[in-house]
Amino acid sequence: MQIAAPDLAATRGVSYAGGMLSVGSQATRTGGRMSRRAALRAGALGVVGITLADLLRLEALAAPPAQPAVRNTAQQPRAKSVILLWLWGGPSQLDTFDLKPKAPLEYRGPYAPIATSVPGIQICELLPQLARRADRYAIIRSLHSTSNDHGIAGTIGLTGSEAGGASLGGQVQPGQVQPNHGAVVSRVLGFDPATPRFVTLGGHLHQGKKPIRGEGGGTVGSLHDPFRLDYDPEAGVKIPQLNLLDGLSTDGLVSRSQLRTALDELTRQVDHSPQIERLDQFRQQAYSLLTSPAARQVYDLSLEADELRTKYGRFRFGQCCLMARRLIEAGVRFVQVNWSSHVEPVEDTGDGGWDMHDRNFQQMQDRHAWMLDQSLGALLDDLQDRGLLSETVVVAVGEFGRTPKINEKAGRDHWQQCYSALIAGGGLKVGQVIGESDAKAEFPANRPLTPADLFRTALHQIGVGTTQLTAAGLTPLGEVIEELA
Amino acid sequence: MIGNERATERRSDGVTERDRRNSLRLSVPPSLLPALLAVLAATTTAAEPTRLTTDGLLKQRPAWSPDGTQLAFTRHQGATIFLYVRSADGSERRMTKSKDPEFDACWSPDGKRLVFAFDKTVPNQGDMDVHSIAADGSDLQTVLASPGKLTHEEWPSWSPDGKRIALSSTRDGNQEIYTVQPDGKDLKRLTSDPAIDAHPCWSPDSLRVAFATNRWGDLEIAVVNADGSNLVRLTDSRGFDDYPAWSPDGKAIAFTSYRDGNPEIYATGADGKNPRNCTQHPGIDNFPAWSPAGELTFVSNRSGGFEIYKQDLAAGAKP
Repeated sequence: MQIAAPDLAATRGVSYAGGMLSVGSQATRTGGRMSRRAALRAGALGVVGITLADLLRLEALAAPPAQPAVRNTAQQPRAKSVILLWLWGGPSQLDTFDLKPKAPLEYRGPYAPIATSVPGIQICELLPQLARRADRYAIIRSLHSTSNDHGIAGTIGLTGSEAGGASLGGQVQPGQVQPNHGAVVSRVLGFDPATPRFVTLGGHLHQGKKPIRGEGGGTVGSLHDPFRLDYDPEAGVKIPQLNLLDGLSTDGLVSRSQLRTALDELTRQVDHSPQIERLDQFRQQAYSLLTSPAARQVYDLSLEADELRTKYGRFRFGQCCLMARRLIEAGVRFVQVNWSSHVEPVEDTGDGGWDMHDRNFQQMQDRHAWMLDQSLGALLDDLQDRGLLSETVVVAVGEFGRTPKINEKAGRDHWQQCYSALIAGGGLKVGQVIGESDAKAEFPANRPLTPADLFRTALHQIGVGTTQLTAAGLTPLGEVIEELA
Repeated sequence: MIGNERATERRSDGVTERDRRNSLRLSVPPSLLPALLAVLAATTTAAEPTRLTTDGLLKQRPAWSPDGTQLAFTRHQGATIFLYVRSADGSERRMTKSKDPEFDACWSPDGKRLVFAFDKTVPNQGDMDVHSIAADGSDLQTVLASPGKLTHEEWPSWSPDGKRIALSSTRDGNQEIYTVQPDGKDLKRLTSDPAIDAHPCWSPDSLRVAFATNRWGDLEIAVVNADGSNLVRLTDSRGFDDYPAWSPDGKAIAFTSYRDGNPEIYATGADGKNPRNCTQHPGIDNFPAWSPAGELTFVSNRSGGFEIYKQDLAAGAKP
């Protein structure tokens, strides 16, 4: 299954010899004899985003046609799914989960710590909803990474490895980009024709205008890229895969799907290769997800009670958290919710993620803190009310933290040496703090842990352990955090 | 029939016959009625707030025109943050046609202009100036621009006598409070502390400036003379106190506080005494302001989305 966002402009530009076939504003040609490459383009560069490059990569990989699920023989999974709230940009550890009220004024920031429902654990006063639910999650205060560049640290956070990560300056780390944690789940659990294993809510991650590597299948192939959805407070659910043409709603997809089938038939006439047939299967799945009434109900948030939607927050991130719950309820095994697409924002007041070089405190108190507090608090409640929290691991983390010392613009810069994460549910031992930072939250004081450790633990809970990873041809990265599992 | 005299005759336990009859209707023991009434009196703080907007989008810093007929506010919509002015008939207009973020406006005392923060994204991010504009959207002027490096000039507040504008700036390497003439001349620094100083507002006599600072630990409200002298601490609570707004009669200062565990609008006497929770709602209540008639105005998500509310404080709720 290839489910990356397509280059629809490329689709619009495709032309073939023969008769004209109109698709909305799109013009393609049918009829006549197509070359194999042209046929591949016709079938591939379509609205579901199967690219020629993907096909060639598939052929090169020569993976077994079914790529079956790796059997879980070593352990019984304690949970089924993972929801990753990807706090892109890197939240300040000192203004969220690791306050240092005794640090010097230039470090501690303006916020007070407040007691939580777990005696002895305190978090930021801007997170009162999460404070009341501290018995449902654990805080890790000793995470560290190896890069303070969004591009590389993002790749580390999302894959566990810096391999292939690209910095803002364009320097690429050695090695192939490893699969996103969701893609690992997809590979290990295997293809499901009814439901994608891995869904990302939000657009492609960028640093400035540079895309981040590690969002997709990496070495396990683009078949395990995420299926993408998004939510806009005014427009509703968005399907970036389709990048719908003006005036075309999902209702129109059925006819587009029929068109694709016609084009695919041409492809079949010129090539009956197993890879093409597999791609048809994946494409069919994508259409099924987008157009079938049952599937569309999964991402129809209007089916939720108004009260619950309000509880999550009537803003993009809140509604995406609600969508995440609906998706794991429908069987998706890994949902990544991107806080934003961009960091290094082009302006200082909008949503450039948690990358608060400027006005850190203004943005925290005006937007980010209460949004995270409300949405994550509601997600924990909702999962618990539905009996899903014990079988769903929830992780909230960014690619790094922020400089303990406040800069001259009332902001905090990138800091990979020490930062915090929240992890909840999934049968984990919660209501505790793992690791400590030093007096200024500059470095781990004990139990230094990595992003790879964090996600190794999350995947371990859903039955993706050493045996399964190895059997899938993957090298396990990080160690399971024993205090949690 | 029981006459009025008998009805109000107090028994030995302090309960009148009228109390007894009322308590029967309320199913409350007569002996508890005085205590109940006392509790009700203490908790009756204000009329229900009136909702002024209905779109649900995130908003901040409402500001009434001096004649009370127009309300300026900032609205977040998608990736945009723009200034709007709402008229008494409910119609709205954008203040500029800029694509860059503009926010946190304040009216001049004659109602002819607004001053606001402008986040120019070209050529660099992280550069924020204070501009002013005529109330009809014309005559955009720069009040205070960055001094050759990336700085933030923001949260402008026009003095009631019209002579100066208070704002916060990071131009000297830390966020401090300054005042400047509306023409951008005669910049004066009021605070000098490694803490964050933010969100200045003027007293009605234009002699003092209230602002938020974390110099004593967490965020508190402080007041300083307009010449920078006599800085005094106004609040002393554990937790966040921010966004001060001085009432038109000079007797109260409203502010946002987390002291009760979630953001509420409090009002305290101008001397810092007798702080009261004016909103008492589990939702987020933030960005207090006052109408010229002394009605508390704020942003709240109590109805789901973020809207602007106006609330006439009952006598008991005023500091």
